[in-house]
Parts: sequence; C-alpha cells; structure tokens
Amino acid sequence: MSKRNEKVLMIPKIKLGIVIDHIPAGEGVKILEIISRYEEMQDVPVTLGLNYDSKKMGRKDLIKMQLEFLSPEIIQHISIVVPGVTIKAIKDYRVYSKVVVQAPKVIKNLLLCKNPNCVTNLESGIETLFHAVDEESNRVRCNFCERIFDRSELKPIIK
Amino acid sequence: MKKDLISMEDLTVDEIKDYLKLAHSVEKLPADERFRLLQGKIMAAMFFEPSTRTRLSFESAMHRLGGGVIGFAEQSATSVSKGESFTDTIHTVENYCDIMVIRHPGEGTARLAARVSSIPVINAGDGSNQHPTQTLLDIFTIEKDLGKISGIKVAFVGDLKYSRTVHSLIRALMKFDVTEFILVAPESLRLPKYFMMTDEPNKYHFYETNHLEEAISKCDILYMTRIQRERFPDLLEYEKVKDSYLLTAAMLEEARPHLRVLHPLPRVNEIAYDVDKTKYAGYFPQARNGVIMREAILLKHLGVKI
Repeated sequence: MSKRNEKVLMIPKIKLGIVIDHIPAGEGVKILEIISRYEEMQDVPVTLGLNYDSKKMGRKDLIKMQLEFLSPEIIQHISIVVPGVTIKAIKDYRVYSKVVVQAPKVIKNLLLCKNPNCVTNLESGIETLFHAVDEESNRVRCNFCERIFDRSELKPIIK
Repeated sequence: MKKDLISMEDLTVDEIKDYLKLAHSVEKLPADERFRLLQGKIMAAMFFEPSTRTRLSFESAMHRLGGGVIGFAEQSATSVSKGESFTDTIHTVENYCDIMVIRHPGEGTARLAARVSSIPVINAGDGSNQHPTQTLLDIFTIEKDLGKISGIKVAFVGDLKYSRTVHSLIRALMKFDVTEFILVAPESLRLPKYFMMTDEPNKYHFYETNHLEEAISKCDILYMTRIQRERFPDLLEYEKVKDSYLLTAAMLEEARPHLRVLHPLPRVNEIAYDVDKTKYAGYFPQARNGVIMREAILLKHLGVKI
C-alpha cells in the first residue's frame, strides 16, 4: 500500500473544513489545547494526527476540523503559540485557500504577562500588549513592565 | 501633543542630549529668572510608595521654577486604599494639575497612567522597572564632572543583580559609546548576563571581579550602590561580603586624579565618611544635579522654552 493511501486510512479527507498542516511534530497538542478553550469550538469534530512523515519537515502533526470558518482570533492565537504552520480551507475535498501564519510583531490582549508585579496583573481590565524583540527569536517584551519572555511561556487570554 | 517620560528605552541619544543641554541652560539661569518660568503651573507628586529623596527633589525643582505642588507621599493617604482603581485616581487627579509625577511599586504603572491621562506623566520609579529621571541626572553628573561621556571607563560596585539604577545607567552609557565597564559584585549579586548581550560583542567589554581594590585605579567613574541585607538568602554570606565593598579614603590613593565616586543615595555602609572630604566624592553634588535635571524635565514636558 502506498504512503498516500495509508494517510487516507489514518485521517480521512474532509469535504468542507479547515486543515492545519506543517505543525512541527509534538506541537499539535498545543494547538488542540488552544482550540479546545474556545466555546465556539466545543461541538466541532476535530481530528489530530501525530508524527506523520513529511518531505519538508521529517515529521509533522496535522489537525483537521469540520467547520467552515476559523475566527481570526483563533488563527492569531495559533500563530503566537506555534508560528509557521499552514492553515488550509477545504471545499469539496479541495484546498481553495491556504495561508502560512507567522507570529505577529505586536500582540494585543492575547497573552498574559507572567510578571506578577506587572500592572496588567495588578489592575483589572487592562489590555496587555507585547512587542516582538527581534525578527528571528520567539522573545517578546511586555509594553508595561518591559520584561522579556519567550512567547511559549506566556498563557493565552481566552475571552 | 503631550509628552511623557516613562522609560529610558524610549529615548534616543539625541533626546538624552536635549535633556542634558536644557539642564546646563537651567543651571546658568539666575534664581529670579528661573522662578518665573512655571508660575501658575501645578505639579502633582503622586507617591504610592514612600521615596523621600525623589519626592523632595521633584518638589524642590517645581518650587524653584515658581510652580505649585500638590500630592501625597504614600498609598494609605489616597482613595486607592479605599478601593479606588489606579486609573480612576489618574482620571481624577489630572483635573487638579498640569503635570503628574508618579512613583508606584507596580511595574508599568507609569506607562498605564500616561496612556489614560491627558496631561504629561513623569515616571519617578515603577517597581524594579524604570527610574528614568535618576538615569538622566546620573548622566548629567558624569558629563559635568568629566566633561565627556563617550570613551570613559565606569566601574559599578555592589548589588548589580537587582539595582534598576545600575541596569538603566549601563544601557544608557552603552548608547553613548561607553564601551568598558568594570563590574564589582559578590557572586550572588552579579549583573545578569542578558545585560551584556549586544549586537556588537567585540565593541563592549565587561570585566567582572569580586575585589573593589582592583577597580579603583582603572576607572573614571566609581558608581557605588547599596548592598541590601534582604537580598541574601544566607545572612552569613552577607556578613562575609559587606565589609569588602566598603570604600575608604585610604583606598583612593591610587585613583586617577579626575575620578568621581557617585552613589544614588541613601548610603548605608558602602562609603566611609572619610571619603566625603576627598576631591573624589561626587555623590552630594549628584543630589544637587538631580534637582537641576528635574527642573529641566519639568520645563521640557510642560512645553516651556528658556
């Protein structure tokens, strides 16, 4: 049996939905965790595939969701936690649009500051704001307390 | 548009030079001329945690310029102690004054105040984050004492791990092409490594040592800081190191003739009293420079030209 057919058996094609592809192996669970926090995603059928062979990446994870539209908020969250994944929209079993999501340079009210003495944690109702420290790294600086963190160590805000 | 002073990270070298230039001009003005500059203006000194020196320095600066001062010196005297939010306090007080000077233990509070207020906000210290007016007065003092900033050699002594004054000044001096730093600190209070990381690792040199004597003859500025007992997890360690960072007049024999000893004050036991009488003692004039720099800051942020 060819590899292509094996894939079909393991994770079925969807007629209409969203596929998150090129997820670095092991990171799929992180994305699943984000998705599961959103109320609008509670009843959506989701399939998670782990450790697939990938020409580009060696190994990758994959997520398929049966819904028409993924909110920009969720896409932004994914781009912050696992930048570089491809999000594909599927219609009639075909990819009709795809986009590679990169981490934004400015992250507004999506992550919590880890510094307990930061004003965003001391006062209620303050929107958080982070700026990317540089192009390559995953580090961001809190606009308020000016501390620098790795993006992955900051908890997302779920509204 | 209103202009706030929140963080040294927001300032370019040219902007810092503007503050220095203005401070020099303020210093040259006769007292009676100075007294006319901010008449009718009110500064609110909002000190959510006590800081006698910074508050008095700002109040003195405002009084010397002929302006009025309102404010409080600790949080228990405010409505915040009754449960009022910080932003509500800002929205209320902005109606009472023309400029706000804020000291708060929470990091980022001055930035938040600047965002919600329609009048200029000056950060007088936000937790362990920023204290830009201290850094500006330190640079002003160095420039006055040595006649230049670029190319000098600076030694920092004491608590280099937690001192925001040291962190902020090192970063500012690096912008001014100060490339050689001597860091004198016990192992547990050394400067965090990320302060030494730059895009130009060959340009900047940081020499670390445990011994104060080694630094004295090699630097132009000896910047002393307090070693706080509460920073040591083991008090025995504190007892061991505290005396090795005590500067005495005798130790200054080998110093360069133009050396200045600076200290953000208050000192506890880092500088012996016999140093006060030497030509090297620069820390009390530094406090005087603080008032001049704060006069310059108030003028600049209230948009008054001289």
